[in-house]
Amino acid sequence: MPDEEVLEEGVLSPVQPAIQDPLLRELMADAPTTAPALAIPQEQAQPTTAPLEEVDCVVIGLGAGGAPLLARLAQAGLKVVALEAGPWHNPAKDFATDERAQDFLFWNDERLSAGGDPLAMGKNNSGTGVGGSTLHYTAYTPRPLPDDLHIKRDFDKGEDWPLTYDDLAPYYEEVEQFLGVSGPSPYPWGPSRPKGYALAPLPLNSAAQLMVRGAEKIGIRTSPAPNAALSARYYQEGVGWREACTNRGFCQAGCSNGAKASMDVTFIPLAVKYGADIRPNSFVTEIERNAQGLITAVVYTQNGQQHRQPCRNLFLCGGSVETPRLLLMNELALSSGQVGRNLMAHPGVQVWGTFADEVRPNKGIPGGLISQDTHRPKDADFAGGYLLQSIGVMPVTFSGQVARGRKLWGQPLRDYMRNFNHIAGINILGDCLPHTSNYLELSDELDARQLPKPRLHFTAQENEHRMNAHAEKVMRNIWEAAGATDIWAFNRYAHVIGTARMGLSGDDAVVDRDGRAFEVPNLYISDNSTFPSALSVNPALTIMALSLRTADKFLEREQHRDA
Amino acid sequence: MSAPHYPAGTVRALLPTAHVSDATRAALQQRLDAPADYAPQLLAPETFALLEAVAACLFPQPDRPEHPIPLAPSVDQRLAEGRADGWRYDVLPPDREAYRLGLGGIQETAQALFLNDFPTLDTQQRHHVMQAVAGGTPPGTTWQTLDAARFFEEMLAELTETYYAHPLAQEEIGYVGMADLPAWTKIGLNEKDDREIPMSE
Ligand SMILES: Cc1cc2nc3c(=O)[nH]c(=O)nc-3n(C[C@H](O)[C@H](O)[C@H](O)COP(=O)(O)OP(=O)(O)OC[C@H]3O[C@@H](n4cnc5c(N)ncnc54)[C@H](O)[C@@H]3O)c2cc1C
Ligand code: SF4
Repeated sequence: MPDEEVLEEGVLSPVQPAIQDPLLRELMADAPTTAPALAIPQEQAQPTTAPLEEVDCVVIGLGAGGAPLLARLAQAGLKVVALEAGPWHNPAKDFATDERAQDFLFWNDERLSAGGDPLAMGKNNSGTGVGGSTLHYTAYTPRPLPDDLHIKRDFDKGEDWPLTYDDLAPYYEEVEQFLGVSGPSPYPWGPSRPKGYALAPLPLNSAAQLMVRGAEKIGIRTSPAPNAALSARYYQEGVGWREACTNRGFCQAGCSNGAKASMDVTFIPLAVKYGADIRPNSFVTEIERNAQGLITAVVYTQNGQQHRQPCRNLFLCGGSVETPRLLLMNELALSSGQVGRNLMAHPGVQVWGTFADEVRPNKGIPGGLISQDTHRPKDADFAGGYLLQSIGVMPVTFSGQVARGRKLWGQPLRDYMRNFNHIAGINILGDCLPHTSNYLELSDELDARQLPKPRLHFTAQENEHRMNAHAEKVMRNIWEAAGATDIWAFNRYAHVIGTARMGLSGDDAVVDRDGRAFEVPNLYISDNSTFPSALSVNPALTIMALSLRTADKFLEREQHRDA
Repeated sequence: MSAPHYPAGTVRALLPTAHVSDATRAALQQRLDAPADYAPQLLAPETFALLEAVAACLFPQPDRPEHPIPLAPSVDQRLAEGRADGWRYDVLPPDREAYRLGLGGIQETAQALFLNDFPTLDTQQRHHVMQAVAGGTPPGTTWQTLDAARFFEEMLAELTETYYAHPLAQEEIGYVGMADLPAWTKIGLNEKDDREIPMSE
């Protein structure tokens, strides 16, 4: 386990982000830096300058899908405006080490959850603010394995990606190096890589140590996880030195010292350095088109006032619920009939156990240990596979799960919660297949903005049930081998995926492999919604890699047009 | 079962120290200092009293006879402000309506089972009523339009999270995660940083 000294040795010299696209490299060499370095951003109202002049690109949403491409477009010298519904926070000041006090990080507008397995949204799903859901993600950043991208070819179920692992690999590497991902090199699963992770792995907390203990006994390999939190100081263009993780364990709320690679301390400052115009508290409601069907402007509300921002291109990055909602509300790109369809959610069963040892599950990064040994289990009776991860937990989140999942209340609930310091958990993330009964639609119920609330229908199907059963058994075995008692499983689904999927043709997909809408040539989508299949890994790294690729492909096309 | 816990006063002693950030201290102190008397803003006084009785049943606090951790005010406040937590079971009506209907339903079930109002029932009878609601098929016409099990789950989760957000409840489970400055250094099994004082039985 690295101690202070080892960490100091791990300090890297300042790095420039490596740009994958040769064309962009050229463009960037020409484009001068247009804005001064970033001062610490504060939440503040922007002056209202009306009428707004046309810009090259508008980006809606600044999460994992929006922020990387925003930086890329700005670096290429384009005039870009980012509209983000949520505020711009100051982590050191705004992020208390308290779950309730950080409720504002979540997308708290009501969504309706229907179907046999209604999806928990809010803090189980998506965030808002400059940084989007990355403000509260656990920062697990595993890569998918190559066969994740062709589940249909291998199992004759689900859908293949119109891209291969090799198309994405250089982007994975770029994102990992830029964010300063801490992880094991070499990584034990998947193809070998030209480059190791940017930093050494973070120290294992007690839940991770227990999982190692149990997994070893039953022959499952584990490894410290790749995590986008810094195991040592790291230099960040546009920010300066980011400090190492302090083991505070509050990644699922906001990280107060910038150790976690949320977009607000990585790609967004880079974008600002290159002149991106960021408008927080700006909720987009309307997307305008001309007679040719091209997008001409977006309408948004900022601090109660309506604005119209004309643009030549639109990048829609609102996440897998708000993106299809905006498309449906504006009757945009609907001809494939796939907007809102193919809603998938990762099977995410958690198994909790009580140990004689002292665990204190709130300390250390919650995302500490990983195993991809269950990627394609030999005895599987289902398509696809899953990965295993140890989990840390904060008390309020845990108590809510105990109430819902264990159905305990009264004195038994209080008694169980008293074991908090002796409890550790493991969870999975597994592939999910699209199904006709799983989709998102607009409901008749209106929200405070007088917009229809989205309704999500989700019912786990045979494949998900079988995978869950397999995984629960494996996790129970691990915990038993590690010496746990009172083992119980919490059935849950995490991450909403696939509501505006990419594909080879507009007949059955909304966007092409470059993220460009088949139906609307100047509309691009970049977020969780474009995934054709769920992948058996956490999604954020892939969302970011796709985001950069989408920007590069767009820039290439622009270059050709200009030439 | 009596699991180890922190001695009373642990969290209060930690709050003023340099281990707690200003933002964290402010949030927790506010909860500790919440005045004991709360006038409901949305629910009618008798409905609010009913909610308090339900909360006392779901969260018995015999160890704090004088000053139980208040749970009902947080619900009333949230409903009054119209705040949501990002989602709702599609089978339930909007939150205000769900609480009004559900609390009325609990009253109805109490009447059906024990011919009395819920707050006047003894502990065991109240428990019985809640059990029926949690089970999903309690007597009472309300429950023909309101999904009892889902309503119960939602209400229980809200009260539970409110309870464990309170510094004294966190002390009870041995949680001092709020004292995270400058860093945790002992994060492995059976390791404690110095400020994590030993627990008592
Ligand atoms: C508790 C938790 C832990 C997680 N942990 C991990 C993890 O360890 N690893 C991982 O890979 N993933 C994790 N995830 C998932 C991950 O955070 C998301 O998949 C990812 O961030 C989604 O990126 P996105 O760009 O699709 O959407 P988001 O990051 O949600 O960004 C969408 C943005 O668009 C904005 N927006 C939406 N509508 C509008 C509008 N109309 N106008 C203006 N702005 C709008 C939103 O405010 C938001 O900021 C976790 C999620 C949760 C809830
Ligand atoms: S554990 Fe590390 S990365 Fe996570 S919130 Fe704490 S300091 Fe940030």
